[in-house]
Amino acid sequence: MDLFSGILLGFKVALQPVNLFYCFAGCCIGTLIGVLPGIGPVGAMSILLPMTFGLSPATAIIMLAGIFYGAMYGGSTTSIMVNIPGEPSSVITCLDGYQMARRGRVGPALGISALGSFIGGTFSLIGLLFLVFPLAQAALQFGPPEFFAIICGSMVLLIYLSRGSAGKAFVMILVGLLLGTVGIDSISGVTRFNFGSPYLLDGIDFIPLAMGLFGISEVLENLEETGERTIFKSKLKNLLPNLEDWKRSIGPILRGTVIGFFGGILPGAGPVTATFLSYTIEKKISKDPGRFGQGAIEGVAGPETANNAATGGSFVPVLALGIPPNVIMAFLLGALIIHGVAPGPLLISRHPEIFWGVMASMYVGNCVLLLLNLPLIGFWVKILKIPYRVLMPMILLFCIIGSYSINNNATDVIVMVLFGVVGYILRKFDYEAAPLMVAYILGPMLERAFRKSLVLSDGKLNIFMERRIAAVILVISALLLVHSGYSSYRKFKSKRVPRQKA
Amino acid sequence: MLFWIGMGAFVVTYAYSLGLNSVHGPGPGLMPFIVGLLLCLVSLYLLVSGLMKKDAVGETHKGEEKRGNLGAISLVVGSLIAYALLMERLGFLITTPLLLMALFLGSGARKWRFIVFTSILTSLIVYFAFTYLRIRLPAGIFRF
Repeated sequence: MDLFSGILLGFKVALQPVNLFYCFAGCCIGTLIGVLPGIGPVGAMSILLPMTFGLSPATAIIMLAGIFYGAMYGGSTTSIMVNIPGEPSSVITCLDGYQMARRGRVGPALGISALGSFIGGTFSLIGLLFLVFPLAQAALQFGPPEFFAIICGSMVLLIYLSRGSAGKAFVMILVGLLLGTVGIDSISGVTRFNFGSPYLLDGIDFIPLAMGLFGISEVLENLEETGERTIFKSKLKNLLPNLEDWKRSIGPILRGTVIGFFGGILPGAGPVTATFLSYTIEKKISKDPGRFGQGAIEGVAGPETANNAATGGSFVPVLALGIPPNVIMAFLLGALIIHGVAPGPLLISRHPEIFWGVMASMYVGNCVLLLLNLPLIGFWVKILKIPYRVLMPMILLFCIIGSYSINNNATDVIVMVLFGVVGYILRKFDYEAAPLMVAYILGPMLERAFRKSLVLSDGKLNIFMERRIAAVILVISALLLVHSGYSSYRKFKSKRVPRQKA
Repeated sequence: MLFWIGMGAFVVTYAYSLGLNSVHGPGPGLMPFIVGLLLCLVSLYLLVSGLMKKDAVGETHKGEEKRGNLGAISLVVGSLIAYALLMERLGFLITTPLLLMALFLGSGARKWRFIVFTSILTSLIVYFAFTYLRIRLPAGIFRF
């Protein structure tokens, strides 16, 4: 199928009334979730996933993707208005966005972040189109050893790019891999780690796991904060940035698009890393770095563009290879599998309606969000005033209904609560749940690829070195791993030396 | 860290018992075995580097963190577990208002009339909305 007829098909799918409605619904819910602190996009998607079971896979993915980029938009609103980031990817927007608001420039700050997001989202979709095809074509030649190497490589990148301790991220990945092995082994039929429980025969379902780790544990963490939020009171006027603002922002927006797109492709923190990178670069190349942190519009435009451009970028490995670069994509992939669609290089040719439909609907969604956000900002700000103690029981209730309704099984609810507690404890000890989740999804693929390769080679490990692509990727991953270990050792040493002198 | 080492060791022995190799090539225990082994190694590394850091920088700030709102958290977790155990026996319409009341209390709401009213109303709305969407919720002792 050539590009043009593909795009045509995509819009045909995306503009069907049903899909248009769910795209709109997803964007609304996403913005709402982004505005409300205390529940992130992953938690929200896991709550809503059971409701998509009755829909066609394309519609379901369209809605879930809508939630994802809706949350990106919504998160920035709270950063600017209240100095509380709704999502990790809008943390950096607080720095200059809130300062702009304090100086009476709420309008341009919100306006440029919405417009920048729109531009970034649009260009990254074009980039996605041009990158996905060659990659999927190449991936058709890959055998199990190559896939094993790519999955290993993406996990190493997760460790290497993790924000916190690399060792802790490593532990989380290993635990995620282990959770993925619970249940009946798909190759030999042997049951593993079920400890005689019939519930665990099917493995740990990914919805209770995700809801527990991201929904429940977030709520538990928020229980600690009792402080009331103060909302910045100011009249909203002049939403559109003026010519001067545009002149300052156009560079950051273009650079943010590129940074975001490529940042999104890499496994790791994805959009979050991209926003930090964009901010740092803008500050470095600025003629007047002192303005940053004092309400510079460049500091809002760049990162806000980058986080939306990253959305498009992170779809590249998912659609071309079936390998998710971050938690949200891992979640979308899980949703595809539940809907009976096998992800991988064949996705485009086997399910063109899903591939093109999702692409086109992302574009439609970007337009919807622009329309939704600019006029409705006042409304979203009102939502911010709902006290958390009213929201909390509702969030938990929806988590329970969501996890119960997958199998009509109360055990799922208990599993979810237990993972909520586990997730809460992990947060207390500075472990991130994201690598665990990604590894949990990748685990079964990794194992299948690994064992198939060994079957191909009669159990000899050197198959990974004989295949050129696999060998290159594995060697690079090993080097990265060694480097991250070495740099933490050096940091530790440099801390130690002055201490001894003192 | 000791917890992870223990878990890794357990996984290694369990995976070994599953069999690392089978007639047809690699067996079901092979990957868990490798992962468990890595888990031991990485957590050992974390443990050692943690101990050395303590030597160098002095006491870490662990334990100083605020204890959190343990009362509220245990109330919430406890009521969620109790709810999961009881919901199929008693039914959604009985257990849900009780759960919501407990949760409101846990979140620090103190106005009784508000709590009771909202809990009952929400449960009713949610029940009928979801039943309408053909998501089956346990009816329990009310069957209609």
